[in-house]
Amino acid sequence: MTRIPTHALTLARPAIQVLTVLNLLYGCAILAFFIASWVVPDWPAKPLGYDPATMHDYVPMGLRTLQLMGLVLVGLVHLILRRLLAIVDSVRDGDPFVVANARRLQTIAWCLLGIELLRLAVTGIGAAVSIKSLGSNGFSLGPWLAILLLFVLAGVFMRGARMRADLEGTV
Amino acid sequence: MGILVRLDEQLHARRMTLTELAARINITVANLSILKTGKAKAIRFSTLDAICRVLECQPGDLLAFDATLPSSED
Repeated sequence: MTRIPTHALTLARPAIQVLTVLNLLYGCAILAFFIASWVVPDWPAKPLGYDPATMHDYVPMGLRTLQLMGLVLVGLVHLILRRLLAIVDSVRDGDPFVVANARRLQTIAWCLLGIELLRLAVTGIGAAVSIKSLGSNGFSLGPWLAILLLFVLAGVFMRGARMRADLEGTV
Repeated sequence: MGILVRLDEQLHARRMTLTELAARINITVANLSILKTGKAKAIRFSTLDAICRVLECQPGDLLAFDATLPSSED
């Protein structure tokens, strides 16, 4: 039974590193699209199927806002991956039950909350500028439960780490 | 810390070494040394019980309070 978590931890480090690189590449791509939206005429409205002659005035600004939100999302994901890597490293070093890891878990929970709020905002903006591909992203209870669980886990971790610190130096 | 550990005096009075006491109460010499030098943050009742049994003394013979010393939170 303990083998699966051990293997998961062994695989976690390279997986997180690959995801970090992919996330940064994704960020670079969004940044390139964002810059292109100011330089290339009717980009990315035209490739998305908008007719520049008939589309609403707020469509280009809406699309740019979505790209900026994408960049914020990349930043939040990067923060999560860095904190996760630090937690995995602390397990490898043999001392994961520390206050620093509780704080890292808390940061991950806040980032996930930010991502979920961004997702709702993106859905709203998508609906406003009539992007059909974003229309299906409605409210889902799962992510919110995961966020709640993470905050609770961070709290439990913090209490446990402090209790352990209290026991240090006990003879 | 205002708590003083007088384990050294008790051991000296009974002509017992720290190693011998450690062996008799089944605690590592390193941990007992932490207690003796006053570096311990806390002592378990089970440890205190074992030391008092072996040294035939009271907890008050092992621990004392000195109000002139700074507290651990200072």
